[in-house]
Amino acid sequence: MPVYLDHAATTPVDPRVAARMAQCLAEDGAFGNPGSASHDYGDAARAVVEEARAQVAAAVGALAAEVVWTSGATEANNLAIFGVAQYYRDHGRHIVTARTEHSAVLDPCRELERRGWRVTYLAPDRSGIIDPEQVAAALRADTVLVSIMHVNNEIGVIQDVAAMSAICARHGGARLHVDAAQSVGKCGLDFGRLGADLMTLSAHKVYGPKGVGALLVSRRGVPLSALQFGGGQERGLRAGTVATHQVAGMGAAFALAVAEPDNERIALLRDRLWQGLAALGGVVRNGDAGRSVPQLLNVSFEDVEGESLLAAVRPHLAVSTGSACTSALQEPSYVLRALGRNERLCESSLRFGLGRGTRERDIDTAVAVVGRAVSHLRKVGGA
Amino acid sequence: MNYSDLTRRYFETAVNAGVLTGPGTFRGAAGSRAQGTWVQFDIQVGCGIIQAARFLAFACPHTIAVCAWTTEKAIGGPARAVLPESAQALSERFAVPVEKLGRLLIVEDAWAAAVAAAAAPAGA
Repeated sequence: MPVYLDHAATTPVDPRVAARMAQCLAEDGAFGNPGSASHDYGDAARAVVEEARAQVAAAVGALAAEVVWTSGATEANNLAIFGVAQYYRDHGRHIVTARTEHSAVLDPCRELERRGWRVTYLAPDRSGIIDPEQVAAALRADTVLVSIMHVNNEIGVIQDVAAMSAICARHGGARLHVDAAQSVGKCGLDFGRLGADLMTLSAHKVYGPKGVGALLVSRRGVPLSALQFGGGQERGLRAGTVATHQVAGMGAAFALAVAEPDNERIALLRDRLWQGLAALGGVVRNGDAGRSVPQLLNVSFEDVEGESLLAAVRPHLAVSTGSACTSALQEPSYVLRALGRNERLCESSLRFGLGRGTRERDIDTAVAVVGRAVSHLRKVGGA
Repeated sequence: MNYSDLTRRYFETAVNAGVLTGPGTFRGAAGSRAQGTWVQFDIQVGCGIIQAARFLAFACPHTIAVCAWTTEKAIGGPARAVLPESAQALSERFAVPVEKLGRLLIVEDAWAAAVAAAAAPAGA
């Protein structure tokens, strides 16, 4: 199998997490409905759910009562954006976000535009950073929500959401939602200190299972309109039986992410990778190197056609690309375009996502494989 | 994207990638790097027969494979302005997706330009 360097897309479930999940599935485990208050099976499942809630909260500096389970980051983003927009629709219909947000934020914003809301899309600088003063300048009397991601999923830059939070607090009417799906285990994340009103979390980016995430809703009180109905679970914000095994897995994964930090080792590997690739020449690093998580490295290769680059490395490396012909959306990375990269550089970008399983030999393999491919394609292209 | 074995073989080996120089060498190019696909052919013609052929391509794997295959098939044959196979036949041979057929026309244009250069009177 190719070397896996796509941990920003997803991570393998940690075996200890899988074991914890399995304990919730069979007859001898906590298989009961956590909403059942009339017997011990329900109590046992509920205890597991609440333990997981406490684990997730502890990992991100939140209170257990602030955790609302969802099916993943996409649902959490939708709940935050539509929930605030719907609740505050009579107070204002303006939202501020960034061009470099994940589509799980941009698409809900576009849908709200179709329904009559106004959305301001902030442009980052060439390194991917949104200046908090841009947020301040974009706020209007009718702004009800600012949605800015903490760690960008393509380039890894970390936004100063604490400063943005202070700006929103001064404004008074704008709630701050932070998509932190890529943050846990990669950089410091303290919901209480950041001061955000809402925060999105995902399990599968942190060696937990797919299909579960959470929305943190600040104890300061952020009224949200629910998007689904039918049982009143999660304080009425997310109806449906809580998937005990999924949230147990997320809790265990978050606890491990905090207990076993790996950032220093991974930063060394990331630097080794960058140095090896930079030596090829004509390599552009995407994203502010000084304000990025160590797990992500995004680079573009001059004079190399994007699809051919991916085709050449694919037998040996599992990485993501900005190539138009290979992405599901059939268009070059809008994140890199927002950074001012031309279409060719967007298409010839590779995103390397390092993780727990990444070793030095994997990095050396990646450098060798990409080096061969780039040299070959530049020769074929007459560069 | 998945590629056929033939496409992958010609893409990876890129046989005849390079340039030709010297007397009897003619060049044709088409497409644009800025637009994502650029192809150049060099052919060496003697007595109406293609003695040697090379290509350069800033292009996707399908296009590179077709260029490599074209040069391989053309050597030893008459210098004709058409590819050894039609664009449609090439698309089937290399399992080129329909949305990429325009790129085969760029290959065809580059080849035709090289042959036209060979056919043009000296000094024209």
